[in-house]
Amino acid sequence: MFDFDAAPAKVRTDIRRLFRREWDRLALPGTWWTGRERVDIARAARRARFGGEDSPSSLPSMAIEAAETVGARPASVRRPWVEATADAVGYNRYVEIVGIASRVAAVDTFHLGVGAGLEPLPEPEPGEPSQTDEPLARPGAGWVPMVGGASITQALSLVDAESVAQEDMHGPLYLTYEGMAEFDYVAGLSRAQMELVAARTSAINECFY
Amino acid sequence: MLRASAEVTTTPLDPRSITDRSVDPLLPHGVVLLDFVDAVLGGDEPGRTRARTVLRDAVGPTGLVDASGVIANFEMMNRIADATGMPVGKGTLKRTSEWRKLIGIDSLNHL
Repeated sequence: MFDFDAAPAKVRTDIRRLFRREWDRLALPGTWWTGRERVDIARAARRARFGGEDSPSSLPSMAIEAAETVGARPASVRRPWVEATADAVGYNRYVEIVGIASRVAAVDTFHLGVGAGLEPLPEPEPGEPSQTDEPLARPGAGWVPMVGGASITQALSLVDAESVAQEDMHGPLYLTYEGMAEFDYVAGLSRAQMELVAARTSAINECFY
Repeated sequence: MLRASAEVTTTPLDPRSITDRSVDPLLPHGVVLLDFVDAVLGGDEPGRTRARTVLRDAVGPTGLVDASGVIANFEMMNRIADATGMPVGKGTLKRTSEWRKLIGIDSLNHL
């Protein structure tokens, strides 16, 4: 799993470990969805982006629509749609969908970049979601409740495990939150080159943020 | 971040290249990096293979992996920002007003 043997460039160990960890996390019961449901969220998001046959899903229709929208058409999301989705499944479950669909998009895009085939989704693990509430989350400037002020690093903080997973991806793929202050950072690319790539990605995705 | 990193490292950069592909970004290997992003996010596999090969020849295999990682990360972050209605802070809006005019991205603000 995530060996990248056929890729034309050697993929760093930390990225391979990160993706294996993400697939383990995806298969296990989450905070508000079971392992089966989490894998179905990933499948719906991936199918909306790349196509493929419909398959039976354990999810309610609004959850499927949310996974498809975040996975393939994120720039189309507007506040009334988020509110309608949250009315149907709850803000907690919506935020977990956003976390899963966005990380699967990241994993798949990395594969496209290095020239590797998409990794098959994991087999779900049995068990029940923890249903752990985040008592400090409050409605604020964003469209979903968050802990503290609205910031991109807090966007998924209503569901702590999703926020932790977001930060877990951010470091190996780009920079750690702390490392973002190093504007003269140089590795395989210079920081300015990395930011040009980031800015173009956001422009293509029509993301103002 | 792009503006700050270019300023700190005194790297020449034309930000209009972010949204206008006829503009040279001026940054070393900037054109092939932009070609690679376009191919990964919108191209077919033959186009991606070509862009990948050109980029690897330009920045090396480590640079290719880094570029793939950055695109992947922002695929995640863009989705999170869009799906949670993440507002851009007033300070950032003020600091970036000149660049936003140059790049022409204010129309993307749908909050």
